Amino acid sequence: MTESNKQVVLDIADLHAWYGESKALHGMNFDIREGELVTLLGRNGAGKTTALRCIMGLVRKKTGAISYKGENLTQKAPEIVARRGIAYCPEERGIFSSLSVAENLELPPVIAPGGMSVDEILDLFPNLKARWSSPGTKLSGGEQQMLAIGRILRTGAKLLIFDEPTEGLAPVIVKQIAVVLEKLKARGFTILLVEQNFRFASKLADRHFVVDHGKIVERLSRDELAGNEAKIQAYLGV
Amino acid sequence: MMDLIGVPPALLFGQLLVGLINGSFYAMMSLGVAIIFGMLRIGNFVHGAQYMLGAFGAWYLLRLPELFPGLGLPSIGYWWALVIVPLVVAVIGGLMERIFIRRVYDLDHAYGLLLTVGLAMAIEGAFNVYYGAAGQMYGVPDSLKGGINLGFMFLPIYRAWVIVAAIVVCFGTWYTVERTKLGSYLRAATENPDLVRAFGINVPRLLMLTYAFGVGLAGFAGVMAAPIYQVSPQMGQGIIITIFAVVVIGGMGSIFGAIVSGLMLGVIEGLTKVFYPQASATVIFVIMALVLVFRPAGLFGKETTSHSVADVSSGRAGSLLENGRLWFAVFAAGGIALPFLIYPIMGMKILVLALFALAYNLIFGYVGLLAFGHAAFYGTSAYVTAHAAAAWGLPTELCILMGVCAATAVGALFGWLAIRRQGLYFAMITLALAQIIYFYAVQAPWTHGEDGIQSVPRGTLFGVIDLSNTFNMYYVTLAVFLAGFALVYRIIHSPFGQTLKSIRENEPRAISLGYSTDRFKLIAFTLSAMLSGVAGAMKAIIFQLASLADVFFMTSADVLLMTLIGGVGTLLGPVVGAAVLVSLQRELATFGAWVVVIQGVIFVLCVLFLRKGIVGTLEEFLANRAERKAQTGAGQSETVTKTEVAQ
Repeated sequence: MTESNKQVVLDIADLHAWYGESKALHGMNFDIREGELVTLLGRNGAGKTTALRCIMGLVRKKTGAISYKGENLTQKAPEIVARRGIAYCPEERGIFSSLSVAENLELPPVIAPGGMSVDEILDLFPNLKARWSSPGTKLSGGEQQMLAIGRILRTGAKLLIFDEPTEGLAPVIVKQIAVVLEKLKARGFTILLVEQNFRFASKLADRHFVVDHGKIVERLSRDELAGNEAKIQAYLGV
Repeated sequence: MMDLIGVPPALLFGQLLVGLINGSFYAMMSLGVAIIFGMLRIGNFVHGAQYMLGAFGAWYLLRLPELFPGLGLPSIGYWWALVIVPLVVAVIGGLMERIFIRRVYDLDHAYGLLLTVGLAMAIEGAFNVYYGAAGQMYGVPDSLKGGINLGFMFLPIYRAWVIVAAIVVCFGTWYTVERTKLGSYLRAATENPDLVRAFGINVPRLLMLTYAFGVGLAGFAGVMAAPIYQVSPQMGQGIIITIFAVVVIGGMGSIFGAIVSGLMLGVIEGLTKVFYPQASATVIFVIMALVLVFRPAGLFGKETTSHSVADVSSGRAGSLLENGRLWFAVFAAGGIALPFLIYPIMGMKILVLALFALAYNLIFGYVGLLAFGHAAFYGTSAYVTAHAAAAWGLPTELCILMGVCAATAVGALFGWLAIRRQGLYFAMITLALAQIIYFYAVQAPWTHGEDGIQSVPRGTLFGVIDLSNTFNMYYVTLAVFLAGFALVYRIIHSPFGQTLKSIRENEPRAISLGYSTDRFKLIAFTLSAMLSGVAGAMKAIIFQLASLADVFFMTSADVLLMTLIGGVGTLLGPVVGAAVLVSLQRELATFGAWVVVIQGVIFVLCVLFLRKGIVGTLEEFLANRAERKAQTGAGQSETVTKTEVAQ
């Protein structure tokens, strides 16, 4: 397998996390290799978003190890994590209403060379061009999601983290986002995707991690999907 | 010379100019307050003190050779001061953010305001110790001396410079925030600081720099003010409350609104001096009240989603400390014995302030609204009671009743205006409304200005009890206190009180259950004002005095401090807080002017380290102990059952 020869860029080991008194992650382990697209699958409350927030340093109360390219980021502040080359697109999209589309797109500072130019991003999402100077939250849900994705491509970050980018969007837009994610992967970005939409994720990802009760309960590569769909559906079903 | 609208033009233009000057300062100051509030969600009450630091900074630089005679330092003039002082004040601001303000970001807005009130008291108090009430002179720089005769008026150059500089600084700041990259970081961080951090921007540092910048603006305004106003420790104290009103009028968080309202209100204030001088001190507060009625979000503010009220209470239902009947008996017994242990006059002071704090706790502790103008009710009642007794010679009980009625009416009106907003806005609005009462008391003939109403006759209660006897007075006060205590206990344990607590814990849910929460808040606020009125009336009779101190904002701060020290939202907290503060003030009396500084420091320490107050901390200790006991108890019974099963 060629994939396994690639270097591990992000390694999560025995990650535990708490929100106040309540524990959200119970020893999570997974890794991502360079250029891979992996998904965290799981139902609501399984701990997927918490895992992402831990990686970004947005959850303070945690133990375990998060290492990125060999550096331990476990207790680092979010701005340090971002500066190491990880970009985050949150579940609620996080479009700023007091900023125009242009300002939203240009907000994240460039942290390394090699990011996409604004023109390239607008080629990916032509809809945004027409809305260039309108306030960010005047956009439709789909446009906001495109803006949220486009925003993190400029910075030169090599690892992109997307939290449920398809949530609540029309099928045609979901398809468009799938195309974009494939293009990004082809460009060499490493992508960590959190999804509940298994049909969407199954076509894109190299490997899947199924999350339940705050830990990884199933690890499947693209080739192993065929026989295991029922099992996955059981985890994802309510 | 021709008169314009019945006013000599020299007077009209003169006051317009004064208005524009004041407006320039309002604009610069409220800009800083608006930016700090917008970004940090801190109601920066210490802004006035920081402005004063700026003025003193300029004055120090000028007097360097006299201050440090041995070092041979040069005297540094106005222009250098205009550069150096704002930077120094900004650095001081940055340090304050690092040391104090940073610690309260994650807490309710109320704590930010309380913390900065404490800091303001400490800083202004310290300057007061050294410089007293007298102002220091600071001359107009030579290059800006003289003036231009415009034909219709004489325009001093320095004043023209102030207006131009203020406008440039204000619009420069506005442009930076609204139109630049840095500004987009600031605006984004206001909305979602976590996400902005996750993009790689050091938001904590950005917040510190923003605070430092806002404070630097105050310092800049202070230097600009030095040649116009006298440099005195009090110069920031009056202006900060006006600034809060300006920010409310402009629309909280609206930078443009703060600038425009600042200039506009300065001019309106100036014009009021021409046409109706009596109202010039209060016109801004009256406009604020009108704006609240017609445009609650402020002139330029966007309608924000309603913040829920603050739950800073630390009481625990069912605890021994919340047992009203028990403590009623304890207070009754202790109260009867008290005058044999301490001076009755001090006992009465404690009882009156405890009643006042109980009243205050009703709104802050049980509804979660940070009211900051309770001096208005306390003082109104004190004045009305004192006037009825001293000038009209009415029977004491009738005087008290009139005082309480007046306080209740003022409370209902202020409550009606203020409950339109929550959180910090509520505090700023009540503070500003209370200033109307204060300025009224300063000016009205019947309140006798600085003297107050003195030698109020105590009279005889119901024609039988001679109150000029200290012991009679004491026991009547005790009876009133106990009645007040019982009433508060009754209120918070009634269905009405339960509804109040539900509003405190989750206002949207209370609304969705069908409660008209605004009405409940208004009733609670009015009740709180009424009980504050009882305390104020008793105070006027006991001490035979109603004075400006009773309506001054420090009285509002005192009652807040008592409640905080004792424990917000606890039954006993206000009483404990009053006893502690009165004893403390008595012990500290030997320190003279330092008392304010010490009180400010206590404020800061309470906010940082004793947020639950004395009673709340005790409550926590008891709760933990009870829990431990329950756990070990449960563990034991489990083992017992296991052994039984084994047998």
